[in-house]
Amino acid sequence: MSVATASYLARRAAQKERVRTLYRRALKDTLNWAVHRHLFYSDADALREKFEANRHVEDIELIDRMIAAGEASYNKWRHPDPYIVPWAPGGTKFCRNPTPPPGIEIIYDYGREG
Amino acid sequence: MASALRSSILRHIRVPISGTLNLNGSRLWTFRSMSSHGDDHLDKQEVVDRVLDVVKSFPKVDPSKVTPDVHFQKDLGLDSLDTVEIVMAIEEEFKLEIPDKEADKIDSCPLAIEYIYNHPMSS
Repeated sequence: MSVATASYLARRAAQKERVRTLYRRALKDTLNWAVHRHLFYSDADALREKFEANRHVEDIELIDRMIAAGEASYNKWRHPDPYIVPWAPGGTKFCRNPTPPPGIEIIYDYGREG
Repeated sequence: MASALRSSILRHIRVPISGTLNLNGSRLWTFRSMSSHGDDHLDKQEVVDRVLDVVKSFPKVDPSKVTPDVHFQKDLGLDSLDTVEIVMAIEEEFKLEIPDKEADKIDSCPLAIEYIYNHPMSS
C-alpha cells in the first residue's frame, strides 16, 4: 500500500531519523570497542552491511520492530567507559573550571587593605 | 589624615556587587571559557580546507566534485548513512562532540563549515 498520506510520510521520516541516530550511536560504540583503526574499519563495514541488508523493507510496522530490535542490541552492547570529548557532558574536563558568577571581580589594591 | 581620605575614597571607588546575579546555566557557559583548549579560534579558510580534506578522503566520494557548497546527498550522490559517517569523521577531525539532533541536521558542506566555525570548542 503506497498511500502517500502526510501521516505515513511523517512516520517514515521519523523512522529514518531514528535509523540515522541509531547508526551514529552504533558507529561510535564500535569505535569505543575497537580502538585500533584496522579493527574498527572492518567492524564498521560489518555494521554497515547489517543496515544495508534491511534497506528495502517497505512494511512500516516491520520497520518499527526492526528499529526497536536494533536499539535493544545497541543498548546491550554499549561500552561501559566510552570515549567522550573532555569538555562535553560526561567528559573528564566537563565543568572543571566553571566561569565565576558575574559581578565578582578581583580588586587590585596591591595589599593596601583599604 | 591623607591616608584616611585616601582609604575613604578607595572605599567608594570600589563598586559593590549589585544584587544576586544568578548564573542561569545557559548553554555557552558550560563550555570552559577560561581554558586554553579551543583558544586557537580557527579561521574560516582553515575550517573550509580541513572539512574539504575530510570529505575528499571519504572512499565513496569523487574528490574532483567536492566544493565548499556541495550537498552530500544531492550533489555527491551519497546516502543518509554516508552522511552520518562523514559527520562522525568531521567530529573526529575537529575534536568536537556534536549532539545527535544537531548532527542529523548537518546535510551539506556549508552547514558543516558554519557549524564548526561557530562552535567555541573546535580545534
